Amino acid sequence: MKKLIKFKIDGIEYSAKENETVLDVCKKNDIFIPTFCHDDRFAGEAACRMCLVEASNSNKLMTSCTLIPSEGVEIQTKNDKVLEARREVLKLTWASHPNDCVVCDADGDCKLQDYMYYYDVPSEKEYDIKVRDFEIDYSNKFFYIDPSKCILCGKCVNVCDKLVGVGALSFNERGKDTYVSFAFDKGMDYSMCVSCGNCVSVCPTGAIVEKSKVKFRMKETRKVKTTCPYCGVGCQFNVVLKGDTVVRIDPIDTTPNEGLLCVKGKFAFRYINHPDRLKTPLIKKDGIFVEASWQEAYEVIVNKINETKRAFGPSAFAGLASAKCTNEENYLFQKFIRAVIGTNNVDHCARLCHASTVAGLATTLGSGAMTNSIEEVKHHDVIFVIGSNTTETHPVIGNFMRQARKNGAKIIVAEPRRIDLADEAEVFVQIKPGTNVALLNGMMNVIYNEKLYDEDFIKTRTEGFDEMIEVIKQYPPERSAEICGCTKEGIIKAARIYAAGKKAGIYYAMGITQHSNGTNHVKSVANLAMMTGSVGKESTGINPLRGQNNVQGACDVGGLPDVYPGYQKVHIPEIHNKFEKAWGAKLSNKVGLSLPHIINGAYNNLIKFLFIMGENPIVSDPDITHVRESMDKIDFLVVQDIFMTETAEYADVVLPASTYAEKDGTFTNTERRVQRVRKAIDPIGDSKPDWVIIQELMTLLEYPQKFNHPSEIMDELASVAPIYSGIDFERINEIGLQWPVFGKDHPGTKFLHKDKFSRGLGLFTPVDYLGARELPDKAFPLTLTTGRVLYHFHTKTMTGKNNEINEIVPVNFIEINQFTADKYNLHDMQEVIVKSRRGETVAEVHITDKIGDLTVFMPFHFADGANMLTNTELDATCDIPELKVAACEIVEKV
Amino acid sequence: MMSQREKINLEKFELIIDSFQNIKGPLIPILHEAENMYGYIPIEVQNLISKKLKISNAEINGVASFYSMFHTNPTGLHHIGVCTGTTCHLNGSGKLLKHLEHKLGIREGETTSDGQFTIVPVKCIGNCDAAPNITIDGKVYNAVTITQLDELIIECSDK
Amino acid sequence: MNQILLNQIKKDFLENNPKFVAAKNVHPLEQRIVLKNYQVIDPESILEYIANDGYQGISKALTMSPKEVINEITISKLRGRGGVGFPTGLKWKFALGYESDDKYVICNADEGEPGTFMDRHILEGDPHNNIEGMMIAGYAIGASKGYIYVRAEYPLAASRLQKAIDDALELKILGDNIFDTDFSFNIEIRLGAGAFICGEETALMESIEGKRGLSRNKPPFPAQIGLFAQPTIINNVETIANVSSIILNGGEWYSKIGTEKSTGTKVFSLSGKTKNKGIFEVPMGITLYDVIYKIGGGMSEGSTFKAAFTGGPSGGVLTKDHLDTIIDFDSLVELGSIMGSGGIIIADQNDCIIDTIKHFMKFNAEESCGKCTPCREGTTILYNMLDDITKGKSSLEDLEKIKHLSKMVSTTSLCGLGQAAPAPIFSALTHFYDEFIDHIEHKTCKTGVCSMPVKGGE
Ligand SMILES: Cc1cc2nc3c(=O)[nH]c(=O)nc-3n(C[C@H](O)[C@H](O)[C@H](O)COP(=O)(O)O)c2cc1C
Ligand code: SF4
Ligand code: FES
Repeated sequence: MKKLIKFKIDGIEYSAKENETVLDVCKKNDIFIPTFCHDDRFAGEAACRMCLVEASNSNKLMTSCTLIPSEGVEIQTKNDKVLEARREVLKLTWASHPNDCVVCDADGDCKLQDYMYYYDVPSEKEYDIKVRDFEIDYSNKFFYIDPSKCILCGKCVNVCDKLVGVGALSFNERGKDTYVSFAFDKGMDYSMCVSCGNCVSVCPTGAIVEKSKVKFRMKETRKVKTTCPYCGVGCQFNVVLKGDTVVRIDPIDTTPNEGLLCVKGKFAFRYINHPDRLKTPLIKKDGIFVEASWQEAYEVIVNKINETKRAFGPSAFAGLASAKCTNEENYLFQKFIRAVIGTNNVDHCARLCHASTVAGLATTLGSGAMTNSIEEVKHHDVIFVIGSNTTETHPVIGNFMRQARKNGAKIIVAEPRRIDLADEAEVFVQIKPGTNVALLNGMMNVIYNEKLYDEDFIKTRTEGFDEMIEVIKQYPPERSAEICGCTKEGIIKAARIYAAGKKAGIYYAMGITQHSNGTNHVKSVANLAMMTGSVGKESTGINPLRGQNNVQGACDVGGLPDVYPGYQKVHIPEIHNKFEKAWGAKLSNKVGLSLPHIINGAYNNLIKFLFIMGENPIVSDPDITHVRESMDKIDFLVVQDIFMTETAEYADVVLPASTYAEKDGTFTNTERRVQRVRKAIDPIGDSKPDWVIIQELMTLLEYPQKFNHPSEIMDELASVAPIYSGIDFERINEIGLQWPVFGKDHPGTKFLHKDKFSRGLGLFTPVDYLGARELPDKAFPLTLTTGRVLYHFHTKTMTGKNNEINEIVPVNFIEINQFTADKYNLHDMQEVIVKSRRGETVAEVHITDKIGDLTVFMPFHFADGANMLTNTELDATCDIPELKVAACEIVEKV
Repeated sequence: MMSQREKINLEKFELIIDSFQNIKGPLIPILHEAENMYGYIPIEVQNLISKKLKISNAEINGVASFYSMFHTNPTGLHHIGVCTGTTCHLNGSGKLLKHLEHKLGIREGETTSDGQFTIVPVKCIGNCDAAPNITIDGKVYNAVTITQLDELIIECSDK
Repeated sequence: MNQILLNQIKKDFLENNPKFVAAKNVHPLEQRIVLKNYQVIDPESILEYIANDGYQGISKALTMSPKEVINEITISKLRGRGGVGFPTGLKWKFALGYESDDKYVICNADEGEPGTFMDRHILEGDPHNNIEGMMIAGYAIGASKGYIYVRAEYPLAASRLQKAIDDALELKILGDNIFDTDFSFNIEIRLGAGAFICGEETALMESIEGKRGLSRNKPPFPAQIGLFAQPTIINNVETIANVSSIILNGGEWYSKIGTEKSTGTKVFSLSGKTKNKGIFEVPMGITLYDVIYKIGGGMSEGSTFKAAFTGGPSGGVLTKDHLDTIIDFDSLVELGSIMGSGGIIIADQNDCIIDTIKHFMKFNAEESCGKCTPCREGTTILYNMLDDITKGKSSLEDLEKIKHLSKMVSTTSLCGLGQAAPAPIFSALTHFYDEFIDHIEHKTCKTGVCSMPVKGGE
């Protein structure tokens, strides 16, 4: 550590660390310095000149945002000279600025206005210069750009370029003619804009402003800090409220998102106050939903539970927990199913996304989660993205990947689609869906033959290498290339780049997991990382990206049929006993049914009673026809949700739940960080937070639960799950903690498997390429693969309530390339019918060069969409269905 | 220098971009190539450069619009400029420019409707000892009078 | 290539070409160091350059340590000719002090200051000398790569430089392991694209990097974080053109030429209303009188001397009272002007001072990069204010406003352009206050250049 630099500000001594600027020190010590262009996240621009100070060792005024103090220097931040300069800069900024504050959208939320007020700059113009006069660009759906009100601080351009990594905005022209615009002034559609709105968040004036539906002035609002309810990144933001209405979302510059958000987090909040929210319980009478009181609804449910239990026993029950609800709610939910009903038939949609990760990494490494933290993404030197469209599914992590590239990291992408990151990649291997193992084995073959592996790591940290390598030897890159439908050069290059990385990180998602042998795909990923010693170090590791906001947490707290909270196996007697004692109830020690088997169980009349909390299997699960039939057959279905979802339509009783904005609790993001969710408004209508509903039901079922606040539920969770044992609401108040947190003194775990794997030695597993269960044939000659798009989330329940989002992605579509389109004689935007062995769906044709020949892509967000076609073939180890590969055919719509 | 304009051929231009593969910071030289070939930097060329250099098209557009020698709209076959450097100014270049503008019926920065001429802004071109100066397609003409200017324009039009 | 071969080439060449033409038009007051080969050798012949002791400087430098080379430059007291006059030896010393595998030498050939054209002549007349100077600079600071940023308006200079580089590469004077040493050096030419601000060193680096030419705040200085974020020195063409001679003849020799604090010679470009115009190289310290009446051959027919503009749009104005002033870095600063890069423009009775500084301000406003607020807005506002004066629309109160704004723009702007943009106003106010009064109070312009309602007589 270098020594601190001592110096004075306004006569008082302060000290600065190496590379700390005067502005940094002032900020830390609450010394006010006005700034327009400065942002802590990128180096000083020194453009706006607002932050000028006087330094005793210079005869010029200096910008404090760039000034590194020297020992003993005396800084003046508010003497006459400095104040005069600031005032003058303001006058000059104001000179060409439109004088329309009274009607400006940013009134009360504008730094120019604030500073002019503080520094007594009159609104009468002192200088004669043409007021900026540019056309307003309304082309973006969520915000508009008014270059006339722009003070050219450059923050939007910098944020878009340096932090988001997209570069959709730029300065045009020069001097006083400079203005900010999308490329060629052609508006957002033409540009690379992804509507993340980070430019809106940083704009100090009214130049880039959200097109707000609700009129509000900042002074009428209040803010509540909370965690984003969309993807697994767990961005932190302030919900801005006017009364009980959410009017805006403002990102917070903290862990993990560092002030960034994506389009969903920033703009897709209209669902909270949406008129269609469920506001009262509904009971289906003669096929029609009738509004009911909570008491009536509870009564029906309790009676039905007792009745069913008597007639069929606990194993006729099943419950689906929710990757969108809080940890506390999921904990309580599984406790409800286990302790009150008496079955382990509890699962949730993690089954569909990362069951294979949990299984595959648990056997090879010992725990199934991201080994690194999000903040480590920026510091990789190699990033290998396989089976993840990161910039769309985990946009903020995608931003950090782009930052890494700008810092010199090399990106490798292996994907069936030419995703956006492929354009940033050093090598992009376009593989056929489902051929990951062949690719990975091919890469390992190259690494083995070229001796690029980490012998030391293999020797000291792992076992099973020799057995594994025997299989690898059978995958020379030529063979792998043939299976994957890519070039062997691509495989070799990818292998060399990956192996050369000193800080290599693998990022994968459902492209790896959703296969009938998904567990093997995951193991293969682990093989590669262990072979080069690229795991268990900072910015080096294996990183499954969890899809939904709390899918990690829902698993952690026991929303799975085989484990109690904290991944403790239900069938191990000591553990079983421990929980029976802790919960004071008789528990089943039989592994419960997984989600697909619960659906099948319903279909086969074995499951009579299904309780669904915030899930929508009728859109999310494979082979919708089958799911619909199963739901039809269920004797009694309870759905607890915030909207009347496709699944809720089938329910006997629908319970109105509250959104994240209406309750306290925690989510655990993809980097294992347990983060606070804070109540911003009272529950809408008669809705109740899910934990309250479950608690009330449990109590009515004579298992009284008396939690006054979710924090108490967390305390109980901590007492039974060692990896959460150090967590309480107070400790996680600021930035959360990353599990494992063993005890109250444990600082949490930034990256996993340091020095030693959770299972001891890392286990290499020989994995052969097996291929998807259903391959294209004469009848169904195309390979269908599915995934997410940036703008929608999961089954669209929340994003679909935002008009702007719906305008961008309005209907189900199918991506095909020109070659395939020509073969079928299709043109862009045409509606077609897509068929598979399981069903058919309508989709709009999008012709694109993103995808390979005879492969097609469809998003899974739409009801009766992609999942009409998908395959229910399961992975034998973990029951994940093969959602990523199915054979299909396109027929013309008449 | 550039009395002929090439047709836009992206494949050909891609090769040009590739020829700059080994230099650091190749953007400005590439933009010069485009400007020389086409008389301006067409959007499709900017998009191509964007893709190849992994620089966003907005940024490329921003760079192209910063420099006065780069044009983002088609320009005339001949670029005529009157030097407005100080010495030329003192020696009456203002009158020359007015005359030129009047004669061609366009303002500085504009192109004649027949696509023949663009009046480009010219700051000092380092020939002050022979002021006032004009440039036509990069070639410098010293101590120019209004009569000479007229003759030069006629000469150009004939070509 | 090595020293022996170099001498052999020289010998052979001189045997076959027994006499060089002497330089044309050398005025008795001149002393030519930078211009030693100007109009003497064929600029496109590397052999002629070598025959006239070319590449002896780098050859000698390579026998010295980098520190010794820098020391020689320091002793010479050479100051940068790009306008600011920063001690070159010191700049190099800073750059040597920062460790890095990649360091850069940049030759600033953007010469954009109106009224200057010596860099163009230096490059067109003797390109090898610049290459040699850059090599020495590269050796001194530990750089192996150089860039010459030439404004695109100078195609001849650029093509001659390119030929010189190619020829030097062919003879292996440039490239890897120069003169059988470990020292390797390559040079790339980059063309500007019509932006005066790119002569400012940090904007220039942005431009080479392929960006908009926006100035960077200093510190950090280029010697620490320069081109591609690596330690970089950037020197003006003329500065570099002095280097080989200093190394060959010693810093001591150089320091004795010129004045105490401004050593050596200076190349000036003279234009405007004198009989003779063009470039000339004299020891620092020549008087304005000698420039106009000796070298310039006096005023042209019908002209009486009124003012001399130095330092262009960042400089100031000198009057009859200053004819005995010597021209060097410090003397002119004392008078509220600057020597700038050496352009001297002579104005006569028909030239309006206000109109000229308005013209300067227009230039500054048009060339402002637009990054920082004071310069972006301030230069245009100042232009508008000066324009009002030339249109008879101003009051004395406005004059106070101009003064105030000028002061603020110069103290708050980010880079030299904005900081110096108001300089001509101050200078004109000091030396031609009457002319302001004529325009403001009497609404007249004696010259009739402005669009004044009333034309005054002498
Ligand atoms: C607006 C502006 C324009 C400049 N233009 C030039 C130029 O055209 N040529 C030049 O050599 N220096 C120019 N300079 C000075 C450079 O920034 C820098 O000081 C110089 O290249 C350093 O070289 P020297 O130390 O050899 O003088 C300019 C400075 C400013 C502020
Ligand atoms: S002073 Fe002018 S040229 Fe320099 S950074 Fe500011 S705006 Fe740009
Ligand atoms: S914050 Fe320092 S100049 Fe803008």
